[in-house]
Amino acid sequence: MKESIIMKGATVKALGPWLRLMGERRTRLLIGALLMLATLLFAIGLLTLSGWFITATALTGMTLAAGGAATINVFTPGSGIRFFAVGRTAARYAERLYNHDTVLRLLADIRGRTFAGLSRLSGRELARYRAGEWLNRLTADIDALDNLYLRLLAPPLVGLLAVLVVSGILALAMPAFGGVLLAIMLPLWGIVTLGMAVAGSGPSARRVETLERLRVRALEHLQGLAELRTFGVLGAHRARVEREQRTLLDDQRRLGRRAALGNALVTVTVQGAAVAILCLALLAFAAGKLSAPVASMLPLAVLALNEGLAMLPGAFVQLGATRTAAARLNAEAAAPASDEGGISLASVEAPSLTFEAVTLRYPGMGTTPALEDVNLHVAAGERVAVLGPSGSGKSSLAQLVVRAFDPDAGSVQLAGQDLRSLAPQALRSRLAYLTQHTELFHASLADNLRLGLPVEHDLDEAAVERALWQALWIVDLEGWARELPHGLDTWVGEAGRQLSGGQARRVALARVILRDAPLVLLDEPLAGLDATTATTVAERLDTWLDGRTALMFAHRRDALPHCDRALVL
Amino acid sequence: MSLAIAAGVIGGLATLAQLGLMAWLISSVVIHDTPLVTLWPYAAALAGAVIVRGLAQWLQETSGLEAGLRVKARVRAQVLDQLAALGPVHLAERHSAGSTAQLVDQVEALEGYIARYVPQATLAVVLPLIFLGVAFSLDWLAASFFLIAAPLIPLFMALIGMGAQRLNEQQFQAMTRLAGHFLDRVRGLTTLQLFGRTRQATEEVTAVADDYRRRNMKTLRVAFLSSAVLEFFASVSIAVIAIYIGFGLLGYIQFGPADQLTLFSGLFLLFMAPDFFQPLRLLAQHYHDRASALGAAEGLRTLLAQTPPQGPRMEALNSGHDDTVPLRARLTDVSVAHAGRGRVLGPLDLDIDDGEVVALVGPSGTGKSTLLQVLAGFVDAEAGEVVLRSKTRVAWLDQRPFLMQGTLAENLRLVAPDASDDRLREALIAAQLGDLLSALPEGLDTSLGERGLGLSGGQASRLALARVFLSDAPLVLLDEPTASLDPDNEQRVIEGLTQLAAQGRTLVIATHHPAVMGMADRVLRLEAGQLHSQDVPASSEALS
Repeated sequence: MKESIIMKGATVKALGPWLRLMGERRTRLLIGALLMLATLLFAIGLLTLSGWFITATALTGMTLAAGGAATINVFTPGSGIRFFAVGRTAARYAERLYNHDTVLRLLADIRGRTFAGLSRLSGRELARYRAGEWLNRLTADIDALDNLYLRLLAPPLVGLLAVLVVSGILALAMPAFGGVLLAIMLPLWGIVTLGMAVAGSGPSARRVETLERLRVRALEHLQGLAELRTFGVLGAHRARVEREQRTLLDDQRRLGRRAALGNALVTVTVQGAAVAILCLALLAFAAGKLSAPVASMLPLAVLALNEGLAMLPGAFVQLGATRTAAARLNAEAAAPASDEGGISLASVEAPSLTFEAVTLRYPGMGTTPALEDVNLHVAAGERVAVLGPSGSGKSSLAQLVVRAFDPDAGSVQLAGQDLRSLAPQALRSRLAYLTQHTELFHASLADNLRLGLPVEHDLDEAAVERALWQALWIVDLEGWARELPHGLDTWVGEAGRQLSGGQARRVALARVILRDAPLVLLDEPLAGLDATTATTVAERLDTWLDGRTALMFAHRRDALPHCDRALVL
Repeated sequence: MSLAIAAGVIGGLATLAQLGLMAWLISSVVIHDTPLVTLWPYAAALAGAVIVRGLAQWLQETSGLEAGLRVKARVRAQVLDQLAALGPVHLAERHSAGSTAQLVDQVEALEGYIARYVPQATLAVVLPLIFLGVAFSLDWLAASFFLIAAPLIPLFMALIGMGAQRLNEQQFQAMTRLAGHFLDRVRGLTTLQLFGRTRQATEEVTAVADDYRRRNMKTLRVAFLSSAVLEFFASVSIAVIAIYIGFGLLGYIQFGPADQLTLFSGLFLLFMAPDFFQPLRLLAQHYHDRASALGAAEGLRTLLAQTPPQGPRMEALNSGHDDTVPLRARLTDVSVAHAGRGRVLGPLDLDIDDGEVVALVGPSGTGKSTLLQVLAGFVDAEAGEVVLRSKTRVAWLDQRPFLMQGTLAENLRLVAPDASDDRLREALIAAQLGDLLSALPEGLDTSLGERGLGLSGGQASRLALARVFLSDAPLVLLDEPTASLDPDNEQRVIEGLTQLAAQGRTLVIATHHPAVMGMADRVLRLEAGQLHSQDVPASSEALS
């Protein structure tokens, strides 16, 4: 019991933000649930009215056959039966359509919310998450939440309402019958929802983790196949894979058996309740308290409850998995970046940039600092090249300027102001950074470039278009882009794969140019370009860089446009 | 699985018994005025039928589950066997994330199909037939209302099938595209942050999902019709039967068996109507299991149909080119072709002495890696013969050293499960990782991987080298062991390799780096898959 309370607390805490998010659509959710209920009630109506009709006609028929006089209105029940039959079909169709629409709306909400949460993460956290199978896990976790409404929210509510409605119908005939049904069905409802959730809590939460570990082990197994096979230890590592699989299958077996037990319990209880109500109704009939048609209709109403409860055990036994997914998403998307600064810079002139006794350690990289006691002053409008082999900390300097990381000691200053005291917006609008790694989006060339435009610009469409072409000219892609059949609307593939490495690099550079920022950071701007192109781009960049403060990074100085001075890390 | 079907049939029979007994009880009490107390054996039988029904349902589900789990374990074992046999070269043609998905997710997709869909597909035919038989014995005209629906059953299945399959395919495609868009934006979050575009991107993520919804709803409107049709027939046949029975009992129908109807047969037929259609409705529910399993099975079948390479022949190789040194490997007229790329290596003759250090050089794409892969047995020679000396074990090291999630010690013991901590330390020191080891507070127990220590490329290479030290494989194959290392790390790896050679092992190294060539006994230059020239580096010559 104590465990169940703890679990419930954890569940509410994990699912809380998502339930609140869904709450914004409560009218829709309610209508969807009512449609589900209507479908169920039409089914109940169809069966019970048919049962009533057959018994009533049988009795009337007997009286008539015995020569007695009897009348029965066959048209009202007949049209009622037809109404329920057609109504059930229509309600079911409407319910499926409407609720799928709802689920897809919720999917958009959930994705949007998750993305908003992730976009607040700092560079440090993103770098940590990028490793491994994080993206796969993220997708799986979001998928787990997509079904929250249709599996875990609406069905138990509808099931409960159906129990109450049928108990009400029974109570109308005989008040005690309603009580009997409630006494049987309410505990059942509790068992197939909360009870199943508790029963499945451990294995279903563990299942998510185990599946994850199995995936990691499988990936290891495949990536390490060459070494594992030649060393003759494939079997040893395979045993690890199979151990994870065994844990997974064991938990799936536990969950499956518990769900099966729940399903069987629903069947036995609902059918048993129908039998009990039948016997009670027949006793009441014999005692003259109920008419025969009503007595034979009541058990049918109970039988129809099966449909409303049958899906619950299977859904609730997996609640732990949904909870784990939600908790993970909460943890990943909750940590806000440290945006404490509020000072905005007045000047739009090229700023100076100062590193003062900066030391930086990356998390998980042991005790060796990436940068140790680095001092560097870049005057306003100056161009400085930082040279050195990979791993010497060049990129770390840039990471500090964009505040992906803050220094462990010392400070970085822009125009004399500590970066930590600046409003993030003030920093970002003043800065353009070409990262070492080229990131293009699965979107049109124009959309990829437009990303670079200042967030608030006063350019009209024609001016934007001119700016795009100008930027493409600087990176020597103008001619290429003009010859594309779809021009700027050409779709750039996943992570820019439709372009060659050099082209993708230059598109990224053009994007940085479009930002038109007074402070420019360029990490290997000419990497991957052939000599002729590199010379052209370097010359044009040279002109463009006039009047801007620039910090550029490369292996060698000849891989950069003209610089005022260079230092080696 | 047959157990699941048998249980399903028993459950169906118990359902029939239950419904029949309920109808009979009502009819006895209402029509024949039999006191209920005298009918207690029937009520007890009724309770028994309900319990049998519950047990049968439990048995059907659990035996289906067991079958599903069994199939998953078996298929996963087959896939693992096949991937291992195919080896890393075949695997490299596929994306390793894709193969992982096959091994994990696609195999998972088989469960629902085996556990639920397959038994239900049989039950959806058998149970309605049993019900139909009982209905015929009660009233052939009422049964014919079922029968009218019965020829429609295949039609239902086709409708459900078409609808569900189309729905599934379209949804799958659209969902993949949608997820792709989302992941693309998540992957590029750093860039979006740098350009201050996260809010815009968030709106876009929502807008794309919403656009997907709008387009999807159009197809859903049609796709859901198939289940609506099933629902319609089920509802209407209940209504038709109820009205027919009612009018028959009133004596309004002077045709066929209608005058034989009793309250018992009438109620029994009515009770049966929903359960006649229930197996079909369940089948429709499980249909998506089938669709996803079929998709997975296709990919798995293709994988399992590939032929794995055989590997080199092992035999006694004694005579070297001079008789003093035995041979480690002999390649005679070997050539290798890759699909779509033509011949990538050979024809080529090569003898490798025991204890020799051979450097393979030449521009990229000239077959250096292929030669190593042939020696390792990852690809077969298309023509010619590759022979290794009997009982030659091979150690392998390439540019992407294999790291496992686990501690440093676990990563090393993978190769030598019984090695003592001291031996592990020795190997790390030999591989020039001694200084890293002493800098780690937890030493050999330091965790590596996603949440642990991140090794640099050079450190990972040297860790792989430490594994080679721990193994006693006499033939060591190295594919660009110093690529993308800075000069300091490169020098450290070369020192490690020199120590390996000093242990008398045979090293075959594909490389671009002059420093590595400098330590070799023989440098083989490959061009377009052919042996172009051989020379002995000055430093080695000076030594000998």
